[in-house]
Amino acid sequence: MGSRYRENVRNVFECFCEIVCPKGDHEPAWILQKFPESYKDEEVLRVVPKFAFPCEFDNSVVQHYSFVLTSADSKWMFGFCRHNPKSDTSFVVLSYLPWHEQFYKFLNFVSDLTRSINSDELWSFLNSVYRNPPPDFGHPLQVSLKDGVTHFVCTAPAQFQLPRIPENRNLTEYYNAVDTHNMMIIFASMLYERRIIFVSKKLYRLSACVQSANGIIYPMNWQHIFIPVLPKHLIDYLLAPMPYLIGLPESLLPNVRRNDLGEVVILNADTNTVETPFDDLESLPQDVVNRLRRQLKNRAVLLGDGVSRAFLQALVQLIGGYRDGLRFQQGQEITFNPEAFINSRPASMQPFLRKMLHLQIFQQFIEERLELLNAGLGFSDEFEMEACSYMDKTSSRLKQQYKEWTFTIKRDSTAFLRSVKNRANPAVKSAVKTVKERGRNVKTAYRGIRSKLRDPSPVQHPEPRSAPGSPTESSRVPVPTTYKRERHSTGISDTNYTKLTSPTELDDNSQYPPLDLNINLMDDLQDVIFNRGISSSKLVRSLENLSISNQTPVDKDKKELASSTNSTWYTSDDVFLATPPTLPPRKNQPPKLPAVEEANLIQLNSTSSMDDFDPLLSGKSLLSSDSETATEPKIVGLINPLYPYFTPKNQEKKDNELLSEYGINFNSFQLHSGSLNAAPSSSSENSQNFSKPPSIGGSSNFESQGTHSKMTFDWTTFD
Amino acid sequence: MARAYDHLFKLLIIGDSGVGKSSLLVRFSDNRFSGNYITTIGVDFKIRTVDIDGEKVKLQIWDTAGQERFRTITSTYYRDTHGVIVVYDVTNGESFANVKRWLHEIDQNCEVVNKILVGNKNDAPESKVVLTEDAQRFANQMGIQLFETSAKDNINVEEMFMAITRLVLRSKKERKERQANANNDIVNLRKSHLKSNKRKFC
Repeated sequence: MGSRYRENVRNVFECFCEIVCPKGDHEPAWILQKFPESYKDEEVLRVVPKFAFPCEFDNSVVQHYSFVLTSADSKWMFGFCRHNPKSDTSFVVLSYLPWHEQFYKFLNFVSDLTRSINSDELWSFLNSVYRNPPPDFGHPLQVSLKDGVTHFVCTAPAQFQLPRIPENRNLTEYYNAVDTHNMMIIFASMLYERRIIFVSKKLYRLSACVQSANGIIYPMNWQHIFIPVLPKHLIDYLLAPMPYLIGLPESLLPNVRRNDLGEVVILNADTNTVETPFDDLESLPQDVVNRLRRQLKNRAVLLGDGVSRAFLQALVQLIGGYRDGLRFQQGQEITFNPEAFINSRPASMQPFLRKMLHLQIFQQFIEERLELLNAGLGFSDEFEMEACSYMDKTSSRLKQQYKEWTFTIKRDSTAFLRSVKNRANPAVKSAVKTVKERGRNVKTAYRGIRSKLRDPSPVQHPEPRSAPGSPTESSRVPVPTTYKRERHSTGISDTNYTKLTSPTELDDNSQYPPLDLNINLMDDLQDVIFNRGISSSKLVRSLENLSISNQTPVDKDKKELASSTNSTWYTSDDVFLATPPTLPPRKNQPPKLPAVEEANLIQLNSTSSMDDFDPLLSGKSLLSSDSETATEPKIVGLINPLYPYFTPKNQEKKDNELLSEYGINFNSFQLHSGSLNAAPSSSSENSQNFSKPPSIGGSSNFESQGTHSKMTFDWTTFD
Repeated sequence: MARAYDHLFKLLIIGDSGVGKSSLLVRFSDNRFSGNYITTIGVDFKIRTVDIDGEKVKLQIWDTAGQERFRTITSTYYRDTHGVIVVYDVTNGESFANVKRWLHEIDQNCEVVNKILVGNKNDAPESKVVLTEDAQRFANQMGIQLFETSAKDNINVEEMFMAITRLVLRSKKERKERQANANNDIVNLRKSHLKSNKRKFC
């Protein structure tokens, strides 16, 4: 697997440490206390103080930064630090979750708690957070203090969201410190898997830039040595001959003998300069570079996910065609044929792509996608969406591949899905784009829809109204604070903290019950789908989800839709659902697929709010609530974030997301295939479409739009 | 400042976790005081200076964590190294399968890099599953040397490290010689069959 993020993380954090600042060379930093006491990884505890105080640094303002430890299985553990110049100690929290904004906020909260007289508060708070399982994507983590008044709330990052400026602090810092040309050089250097050193005086800038540089090669993941902040005692590791991405505090630079380093790329994030002995940016396909450069010059769109998306689109241009290299043979695993991939790309790109095959980051990317496909798990992340958008859909060989591969799979159950697969994703993108370009009135209209969608959905847990990790918010902590800091001489802290031996009980509201599902309302649909084994087509699963999810919110009354109309629109369509439930199981159908499938369907159709939308099954509770699910599907890879996410804040983005996540997809999918210009102009038109359950396989719905003969034709070819 | 060595070579040790790479390095290394960082930053190295025919060779041998997750280890990983020590566990057939795959990959895609095949844990004949003959046949096919070692009992470890060092040193000299020949505009057909090593040494 390509991901360096650990899966199935059980605790929000692994260990919290208070670390005494070093005093000169003679007294190194040491761990004053830790929570939980039971944390015993001696290797980690040994190095944490050194990573928390990697060198002498300017400690005049409160600062946050993160470091990364790599375990023996090459998974990353993040250490989030908060240094306060007025304190003799610093806080570090270790976690497998790359939730920078959330943990910085957490550390601020902790810092405020230490000022309170009752030190028990801190430990009961830590205990409450520790004993919570990590919240699902986009869900809040809320812990109340014993006083019942003070709450800590933060929201888990949304899944598949590109890092945004300014919400993502790391990317914002990177963008502010390093101009886009130098970002492109680093991007190119990473695509050549160079040995790359970032230098800065500021620890937070160092960790932010290194983390962001990795985020920018999404959907790939840096597979090599990754040390965002290199402590002084590990300086020799710069001599490593393997590719690396290392952040070096500038004060350590004189300790490095340049000649010993060999050929390295050095970015000084303070002076915004790059030294490289290579011509990597020049060696990338120039049309990709030029396009990227153009996009990054348009400052107006760089706010939000503009920067991330520009790089993502460059990668889509380069490797989005990996799909053309996929090979299916019945009864065998899906494989990747490098030659087919390369030959499917423009000649100008082929030399670079040949080199790209020999990149570990690319190999692991392919491995990961294959693993997901062969596990029967679909994916529709931002990369795939962009790739679909980019792909010339009519000339795509993949469509043909799907056809062949699914030849013996029940055709009538897949034809629809296949056609949707080939069209819906580009359409979604197109819809989003179209909406972006539309006037305000359209947005308002969509907002109206959005609120309608939201209103009837009781959110299980109060959603915080603020984006917790935003730069402003993170420094704001919802505690009545007195800024008269209780000084922590080590002795005082020690006595304070040793009080805590027995963890206090959890607050009730810190334990989230499983999501409330409209399971009973979905019974009809479940039965139908489950028995019919729609899932036999692995590759179109994600689209199944999409297509089905598209239906979910279109009806304002979802319960009604689920209980009555869903079954109608499935069963009434003989193309889609004609097979009797006695369909024999297919040979090449993974046994766990039905479970996955079903869970997906339940999840998507029974979502009661936008927060529940989760095409990749991260909501485990959904599975457990399904009594028919025999085995819990193993969810690989994408259950964990592939890149640093951030919680959405921007309203416009939310609109677009909602559009893509909900019914608008489908609506514009029609529009897209028909005529791009025929964008919806009023909410009434949309809701008209929404309010009736679309007859999926049938063409009447599309014909009624008057512009979709092509679509209809395509669908019928699969029958 | 005079260097304490004539040559500095960076080598990689690769193989599944559990095949005894660390033990081999500890056996070999002479800086026993350095910590072991493989479990905290995912990379570690050991240093030793050896004497080969009167020349001081400083060796850095690097190890990274979690290599078994790679179906193939791509050429960028070896790009800046002088030699690769490929280790499997003679009591673990899967570890042998992995290195076979990796070596094929190196052979196909990499610039020529010196390599050596090592079957470690060769100290319990009853649990040995990778037969010497099989490994030797594979080594011959790949044109590399095979050493069966035991880090535990300190068998063949020294010999193995010296062998890879000699290989690396020899390629460096051959490369220099070739360069000199090229500079003198002399075509030396006898040498032309030798593998050229594109990497700049030291």
